[in-house]
Amino acid sequence: MAWDRYDPSLAAHDLVQDLKWDPALRAQFKQNEASVLDRYPHMRPEERQAIERRDFRALYDLGMHPYLGGQLSRFIWGNDAGRGAIEASNRLVASLQGHAGGIPDKP
Amino acid sequence: MAEIVFAAGVPHAPATVGLFEKAPDEARAVVAETFGAVGRALRAARPDVLIVFANDHLTNSRITAYPDFIIGMAERHAGPHEWFKEWIGCRDWALPGDPEVGRSLFRGLTRRGIRMNLEAGPLKFDDNLSVPTVLTDLDQAGIRVVPVLQNCTVPPFPDGARCLEVGRAVAAVIREDLPPGLRVGLLGSGGLSHEPGGARYYKIDEEFDRLFLERASQPDHAALLRDITIPRMEEAGIGGTAEVLSWFIVLGAIGERRGESFGYTGWPSFRCGIGGVVWEVG
Repeated sequence: MAWDRYDPSLAAHDLVQDLKWDPALRAQFKQNEASVLDRYPHMRPEERQAIERRDFRALYDLGMHPYLGGQLSRFIWGNDAGRGAIEASNRLVASLQGHAGGIPDKP
Repeated sequence: MAEIVFAAGVPHAPATVGLFEKAPDEARAVVAETFGAVGRALRAARPDVLIVFANDHLTNSRITAYPDFIIGMAERHAGPHEWFKEWIGCRDWALPGDPEVGRSLFRGLTRRGIRMNLEAGPLKFDDNLSVPTVLTDLDQAGIRVVPVLQNCTVPPFPDGARCLEVGRAVAAVIREDLPPGLRVGLLGSGGLSHEPGGARYYKIDEEFDRLFLERASQPDHAALLRDITIPRMEEAGIGGTAEVLSWFIVLGAIGERRGESFGYTGWPSFRCGIGGVVWEVG
C-alpha cells in the first residue's frame, strides 16, 4: 500500500487510540465489541463491517493508518511479546495479503 | 557555551527485547554489540543531559491533530506506558528529566523558526524510549533526559532536509542558549527498515539499511539527502522506515562527522533491520 488511500478522518483511528489509552474500554471491547463500536456514531458502516469481519484489507483500502491497524490487530488477537503479538501480526499480514497463513520465518 | 559530547543513532524495535532469547546467535550479537557500544560511549562522554529524538508512534496524540514535535519537560519520565508493557516485555524504567533544558529548547527552536510543542506533564512512552533505555541501561546512568517525540509516520511529516535544518537549529540552541559548560548528548531513536502493521510486516530491506548505515557514517550530507529520500524510505517499509529521520536531526546538529557502526542484522522476526552508529564529536 501507499499513502494514496490514507484517510485520517476514519473513526477507526479514534477507536484504536481510545482502546490504547483506556483499560476499561479494552475490557469492554473483549466482552462486548458491538457496544464499543456503538460509541462511534461517525464510523461508516463499511468501516464497522471491516472491523467486525477482521478484514484488514478492506479497512486499509478505506484509509486506515497501518500503524493503528497493527495495534487494532493486537487488541483482537494478542499483545504480548512472545506469543500474542506474533499471532496478531501473522493474522494481520494474512488478511492484508489475502491468504490464510504461511508467514515465513516465524520464531 | 554548552557543548555536544555524544551523538548516536539506534533502532528501537521492540522484538529486540521480547524475542531476544529466541533470536539466532548472530542476530543477538548485533543487538548486544550495538547497544553495548552505544551505552559505553554514552557513559564515557559523561553528558549532563541527553536529548532523545524519537518517533511518537501515535501514542500521545490523535491522528486528526498530530504535532510534528513534542518536547517533554517533565521532572521525571517513566515507561513503558501501560498498554505497551506486555508487548515490549521489558522492565519498568524511570529517567530524571530536565525541565530547564526542555524549556530552553522549546523557546530557542521557536525563535529560530522551528514549530515545536511543549508538554509539561508526563508523556506516554512506547518502544521509542523504552528499548534504548533498557538495552543501554540508561536508567542506571544518572543522566537527565529530554525526550523530543517526532512525527515520522503521519503524513505529511518533515523530510530529510527539514530534519537536518531542525538539527542545525538544535545545535544553535545548545551553543548559544544553554548554560556554559553543560555537556549535552544527542540520540536519534528509530528505523531501520520496517513496515509496522503493513502487508510487508516481515519484509526487511537489507540493501536500504546497509546503504543508510554507510551514508550516516560518512561526513557527506549531500549524499545522505540524495540517497536516503522519503520515497526510498517508503519503498523499504511504509510507516516505519522513515523513523531514520530522527537520526537526521542528530546529524544536522553535529555537522558532517564520521561514525562507527557495529554490525547489522535483518533477522525477519525482529520485523526491523538492526544497526546503530556512534558519531565522532568534539
